[in-house]
Amino acid sequence: MPVIETWGLTKRYGPVTALTSLDVQVSEGITGLVGANGAGKSTLIKILLGLLAPTEGRADVLGHDIRTDGAAIRAQVGYMPEHECLPPDVRAIDFVVHMGRMSGLPPTAARERAADVLRHVGLAEERYRLMGGYSTGMKQRAKLAQALVHDPRLVLLDEPTNGLDPASREDMLHLVSRIGHDFGIPVLVTSHLLGELERVSDHVIVLDSGALLRSQATGEFTGTTGVLLVEVLGDAQAQHRMGEALAAAGLACRPRGGLIEVDTRHHRPEQRVHDTVRDTAVSLDVGLVRVQAEHGRIEDVFRQEVSHVQQS
Amino acid sequence: MSSSPERRAVIHDIGYRTYDGPRLGTGSVATSLFTTGLLNAYGFGRSAKAKVLPLVVLAIMLVPAVILVAIMVVVGLGEGFIDYSTYATSLFLIISIFVAAQAPVLFSRDLRSGAIVLYLARPLSAAGFALVRWASLAVAILMFVMLPVLVLYAGALAAEADVSEQTGDLLVATAGIALLSAVLATLAGLVSALTLRRGLAVGAVVIALLVSTGFVAAVQSIAVVEGNEAVAVWAGLLSPFTLVDGVQSGLLGGTSSYPAAPETGVMAAVYLLTALAVIGTGLALLVRHYHRQGKR
Repeated sequence: MPVIETWGLTKRYGPVTALTSLDVQVSEGITGLVGANGAGKSTLIKILLGLLAPTEGRADVLGHDIRTDGAAIRAQVGYMPEHECLPPDVRAIDFVVHMGRMSGLPPTAARERAADVLRHVGLAEERYRLMGGYSTGMKQRAKLAQALVHDPRLVLLDEPTNGLDPASREDMLHLVSRIGHDFGIPVLVTSHLLGELERVSDHVIVLDSGALLRSQATGEFTGTTGVLLVEVLGDAQAQHRMGEALAAAGLACRPRGGLIEVDTRHHRPEQRVHDTVRDTAVSLDVGLVRVQAEHGRIEDVFRQEVSHVQQS
Repeated sequence: MSSSPERRAVIHDIGYRTYDGPRLGTGSVATSLFTTGLLNAYGFGRSAKAKVLPLVVLAIMLVPAVILVAIMVVVGLGEGFIDYSTYATSLFLIISIFVAAQAPVLFSRDLRSGAIVLYLARPLSAAGFALVRWASLAVAILMFVMLPVLVLYAGALAAEADVSEQTGDLLVATAGIALLSAVLATLAGLVSALTLRRGLAVGAVVIALLVSTGFVAAVQSIAVVEGNEAVAVWAGLLSPFTLVDGVQSGLLGGTSSYPAAPETGVMAAVYLLTALAVIGTGLALLVRHYHRQGKR
């Protein structure tokens, strides 16, 4: 059963349309919701939490209707907002305990779970400090902890890597991956950096200007593109000679930077492209250092589709 | 942020524990929010610095009561020489400072820090949140004003004053203080919620309370000297302190501390209705304000 399902979800602010007739399904595991800034990601999350009413359409979250069961949804969902949301004059431990209580945990359970989740997000020793003195990375961890304290059935993470340096970004993505795969909590995570989520998410939903561009398994985005990248070492002209020879052998190829791009999509199976590359390298006496199948990236898909939409 | 391999390994070893225990309903969530808010208003659960102002002001509030009690007991005065119902109004400056300083703690802090989003993403509704916050502030003010009055009461009993008379006076004062707390919490809460910057909110509440009370006192004095009692009584509606003082003296038989108090039952009823209307309208505006926050 999908954890989130929407049917024709539309949101208009006066003349501005934030979401256009959105039909999406989110299942277990990690689902990335990507799109440029202003694509409607945060609006969708607010609607799913029952904080914003959709103009048209309907949606179910964990089997509850967003229009009638908002409180039931909010009791079972963890939400990490995009913007700052931590009071500076409170210790992280007190705040997370308080937020656990606000989600309906009894006092003892709230204290135990707050200590637990703060340790999971990596704020073990720092939890007794006032949050006003935290770095951006620590604030993001505290925000994540309050979203997990009540053991939610689903977490909605809005731009969890926003404002983080590369190392903290890696840590945060690792945490997101652990929540979805080790903790077993379904995750819907947004990012405006299109490529960032392809490593951690099982499924990707791409939004563009409030409309659904794509929704499919990450593997389909990042599958092989049918292009083979070849690199050889030798004298200064090695790369050039290799390219010429491959073309002479009947392969569709062209230079790309220091590599040779061999397009295998139009070759018949009996043309053994890999063997041809190897034999050509041997006959030219150059060192073959790379024969690599190229993988797609979400960013490329996004760029192609957006340009299609704009052209049509 | 360090991400040394040792730390990762430690995190991995613990493992995630699910929670299968009870989940409490809205009532107990609201109670917890109320208690936390009440403690926060006195600086508990916040930084050490946050406790200084409320506790110092509370001490100042208590000093006159303690001195009066000491005199009563030493001299053996059977009769308290300050009326319970006038204690609050005579210390309105101290009360205004406490209200102005602590209302933003409950009403500006969540909005400015953005934590309101986290509250609204939880089961309690925006209206419920606003009302519980208001209740926390009202009870914090009530405790602040009642504590010295209770000290006076205890002192009077220790000085062997008439128990039934003292208790009657105390009940009148309690009703008045409860109404005053509700009116002050409404006005200060609304101003703080609309003024996100703490400094501005404090200033705005101080000005609203002190200026209105000063203005009313001036108008009443002039009107009384001029012999225009009606204007003086109507002017009393414009400050929370004179408003509640009027209800207390006009309807409950307390002693008024201001030059003009409503003398007819009708006028006293107007005072009470005005106080209730202020609370009702203020709460409606607060609820609407918090309801809008979720849509941001």
